[in-house]
Order: sequence, then C-alpha cells, then structure tokens
Amino acid sequence: MGPLEGLLYGFAVALTPTNLLACFVGVLVGTVVGILPGIGPVGAMALLLPSTFALHPATGLIMLAGIYYGSMYGGSTTSILVNVPGEAAAVVTALDGYQMTRRGRAGAALAVAAVGSFVAGSLGVVGIMLAATWLAEQALRFGPPEYFALAVAGLLLLSRLGGGTVLHALVLVALGLALGTVGMDPVSAVRRFTFGSTQLAQGVELVPVIMGLYGVAEILLIAESGVRRAQVTTVRLRELWPTRDEWRRAAAPIARGSVVGFLTGLLPGPATVLASFIAYVLERRLSRTPERFGQGAIEGVAGPEAANNGATAGAMVPLLSLGIPFSPATAVLLGALTIAGVQPGPLLITQRPEVFWGVVASMYVGNAILLVLNLPLVGLFVSLLRIPQHVLAALVLLLCLVGAYSLNNSLLDLWVLVLFGLLGYGLRKLAIDPSPLVVALVLGPIMERTLRQALFMERGNLGALLGRPLTLALVVLGLLAVLVPPLVRLVRRRPLAAALPGPAR
Amino acid sequence: MLERGLALALLAASGVYLAHALGLSPGTAARPGPGFFPRWVGTFGTAVALAWVALSVRRPTPSAPVSREGLRRVLATLAALAGYCLLLPWAGYPLTALLFVAGLLRRLGAGWPGALAVALAAALASYALFALLLGVPLPRGALVG
Repeated sequence: MGPLEGLLYGFAVALTPTNLLACFVGVLVGTVVGILPGIGPVGAMALLLPSTFALHPATGLIMLAGIYYGSMYGGSTTSILVNVPGEAAAVVTALDGYQMTRRGRAGAALAVAAVGSFVAGSLGVVGIMLAATWLAEQALRFGPPEYFALAVAGLLLLSRLGGGTVLHALVLVALGLALGTVGMDPVSAVRRFTFGSTQLAQGVELVPVIMGLYGVAEILLIAESGVRRAQVTTVRLRELWPTRDEWRRAAAPIARGSVVGFLTGLLPGPATVLASFIAYVLERRLSRTPERFGQGAIEGVAGPEAANNGATAGAMVPLLSLGIPFSPATAVLLGALTIAGVQPGPLLITQRPEVFWGVVASMYVGNAILLVLNLPLVGLFVSLLRIPQHVLAALVLLLCLVGAYSLNNSLLDLWVLVLFGLLGYGLRKLAIDPSPLVVALVLGPIMERTLRQALFMERGNLGALLGRPLTLALVVLGLLAVLVPPLVRLVRRRPLAAALPGPAR
Repeated sequence: MLERGLALALLAASGVYLAHALGLSPGTAARPGPGFFPRWVGTFGTAVALAWVALSVRRPTPSAPVSREGLRRVLATLAALAGYCLLLPWAGYPLTALLFVAGLLRRLGAGWPGALAVALAAALASYALFALLLGVPLPRGALVG
C-alpha cells in the first residue's frame, strides 16, 4: 500500500462511527486536561489506558493519541486567557499570549494558536506518513544489535535533551532500567527482585508509575501551594478575530514552528515542551523587532503553538515505525498496543494497517474537530477553571487511585502510585524532569531482550556488535550527545532561565 | 536536604539491587542468564547514585522553598493516600472513597457540609461509573462482606 492509498484506507477506518466517537472523546478529554492544572496529558492517558482493554486496538490508540495532541490545544487556551499554563508545553505561550489578552487581543491569540496547531498537526500527519513508512522499511533490516543500540542512543540523547543536568537524568535512567528488570525473567523464568511477592513477579506496572509521577506529584504541589482561584476573564470572540496584518505576521512562524516541532518530536525527550521553547527562541532571533517579544508579539504565540503540536506528530514516528517510544506519552501508547496484543515494530504498517493508517488519519480528523471545538467553546472551557482547586485535587487523586487499582485489582499498584507520587513531588521541587525514568522503564526490557539475543547471535562477542555500521553510528551519536555539550543547550540557556517559572514545570 | 535525602535513598536502593543482582546467575557471554543485565544496571546505578550523593554535598541543586503550612498540607495529602490504601481492603470502595475525599477536602480548606456533599457525590458517581458501568471489581470490603 502506497502512502496515499494508505491514508485513504486510514480515513475509511477513522471515519467509522466508533472511531470517530473515540477520536472526539480523546480530543475532548485532551482539551480538558490541557486546561486543568494538576493533570497533564501523560497522566490522563495512563488513567484511560485500562478503559481501552475492551476496545479494538485502533480505537483505543485513536482515543489516547487524541488526548495527547488535544491537550496541546487546551494548554494554550488558559496560557493565553489567564496566564495559567495548563501544562508544560504551553508555558512559553503565556509569555506573549497573556500580554495579547491584556491588550484586548485574546481572540486573535486564541485563533492564531488554534489555526497554528491545526496547520502543524496537518503537516505533521504528512510527515508521519512519509517518515514512518520510510523508517519502517529501513527498520525491516534491523536485527537485535540495532534495536539495542537504538535504545541505548535514545536513552543517552534523552538524558542530554531532557533539561536539567545529565547526572540527574542518568540516575533516573538507572532507576527506570532497574525497575524494568523486576519480575519474571522472560527467558529463564527466574524471579528477580520480587522479595517473595507474587504480585511483583508480574513486574512493575507502567501506569501507576506514570500516574504517580505526573498526576499525584502535581496534586501534591497544588496541595502545598494552598487554595487559589484563577482570575477568569470573560472574552467576547466576535470582535476579536485577527486582523489581516496579524495573520501576515503569524504565517511564517506557524510554518517554521511546524517544521521545528516535527523534527524535535523525532528526538527522545519531553518533545512538546522542548519544541515550544526552541520555536519561541527561534522566532525572537529571526524577528526584526525582538523587543516586541514578551509584550504581546503574535509571532511568540504562533511559533510555539505550531511547534508543540508538530512535536506530538513527530513523536509518533519512532513509535509507529520502530515500536520504540522516546517520550512518556508515546510510552503509554506503546502500553496500549501491547495490552491489545498488537506487536509494535516495523511490521505494524503491513501487518496491522488499520492500526497504523487509522491512527494517522484520525490525527487529521482530530485536529479538524479541535479547530471546530475550540474556537466557539473557549468560554465554556475556561470556566472549568472556576472549579475550586482543592475539589479538583481530591477528585483527580480519587481517579488516580481507582485507575491504578483497576489495572490488575492489586493493592500493590496503589502503593506504587503513592510512592512514585512522592518521588515525583521531590523531583519537581528540585526541577528535575521525570521522563528519563518512564522511558527507561519501557525501554529496559527491550534493551535486555535485544542485548541477550545479540550476544547469542555473535557468540558472546560484544565487539562484533560495534562492527555493524548502524549500531556503531548510533552508539557514537549517543555518546557524542552526552560528551559534547550540544548547541541546543547554548540556544536554550539564557531564554529558558528567564522563561521557566521555577520548578513547577 | 531534600536532594541529599533522595540521593542517599537511591544509593541504598542501588546497593540492595546490586547485591541481589550478583546473586542471580549471569550465565556465559554467549548465553547470558537472568543476572547478566541486572549486574550492569546495578553497577551503573550504584555509580551514578554515588556521584549524585557527592554532587549533592559539593554543589547542591537549589530546591524550591516549602512553607511549614505547605509541608503540612503535603503530608496530610500523603497520609490520606496511605489511609486509602490501608482502609480499602477492609472498608470497601464506597466508604473509603467517601472518607478519603471528605477528609482531604476538609484538610485543604473546605467546610464540613461542602466536603461531605462533594465526597458523597464523588464516591457514588465513581462507584457507579467504574464498578457498575465499566465492570471494575472494586472491593466491597471485608467489613461489608
């Protein structure tokens, strides 16, 4: 099936009533969690993962992916209107977006953010179509050594790009890898690190870990800061459509942001956050009037908003073509695939075309729904912020507790949830990003399996692994990323320090 | 303080992990056993945890300040979570959820009537949604039977 044929087939899948409903529910939930502080896209995806058990794999994945990119729309709405970023990827949007609101251009900012996201999402779908099919074809030649090298390089790049110091990231990588080895060894059936617990023999579940790190931790931060209520302004949209001049100034940043976002999404790390920062810095560099940034420059909304949506598309590429997730969000999607019994990897496109093409096409459909949903309903969404924060906190915690339990009906998962909530809270206070832990937990078992297969293939000769050109290139790439302070850091250092509001990312 | 505690806890955990990993069979290089990968992970983990402890002493990462009252609210929330986990198998889901939400809301600043009203609604609605509609076997509790 060629890309165009595939996409048409994908639309046939995505437009069935069930999948259309799943897409709608996904983007709606995504918008809501994007707006509400305290629960981000990753936590929400983990929360709804158990509910996909009964669904067709394509339907489940369509819904979860909808939450992921839908949250990018919702996050920008509150950034712009009330200066409260609903999630981390919308932090930079608040810089100029809220200034635009104060100048009475809220509608213009919202419209540009929504259209920018839509354009980036649509271009991203084309990007996935081309990049993922190409990569999957290449990956058919990959053996265990290549997969092992890919996972190693991914983790090394992630520890470099995740923000914060490399050492902190490596500690979290080690912790994630260690947790990934808990349970029954798949080859020898030996129980490892279970300390006699039958529940631990099944391994540490991803979902309670993620809900702890991203859900409970966030609620603990809200509990700490006490009850605050956001100032909600009413916005009348009719009078506030962007002017011709504003469209003209936003067009190029949207195009650049889409490309930057998609490319950043391909790399390991919290892609959406990184992409929005890079796009913001890029636009300020390219601008002939950089002093307008921070004062309500529409370019500062258009670029990052396009970029964070483009990044959600880019992040799907390694997942769908290689079966390797490089970000916490795609790690949850991988979990959904494996639970549904779909073998992720380069054969996904040919063996389960309805999953691959259905999801790709649904992203296009979902972006269109979001565009229609967001502009007229902005007022309704923002009024969600009127829910008192302590009520929100208690309800989100209850949802996390039920969600973690429903996975295996196991009390152990509840304790895992609480423990990782505490760990996540500590990490937030130190401004350390938890994503290396999550990605390492998912990649660990893949690494162990491929390493053992590779050593078996090469009769125990580790050096022979490096003799394969691709593995050598990947390992060198990973090492370079850690050893050579990359340009990204130089670009990011100054503006980031000013833009990040302390540890509450 | 926070960083050093976290680093020391992780160092202790890596030590336990490594000791356990060394007890598993590493197999041969051509046929790696269940202990092969954990050994590498344990060594790597202990090394980076040790480096983190050293770094946290020499050049600590600044942590965001916590007010005394803020810390109390965090601890109360954690206590509520722990209480939920302990109570769930005995009191069953609906009652545990009711007590959890009511207690937490009261502690975070709501009045009793409001806290109880929200808690009752949340417990009933979540039980109806998860147990009755989605078929999650939420525990009914040893006390209830």
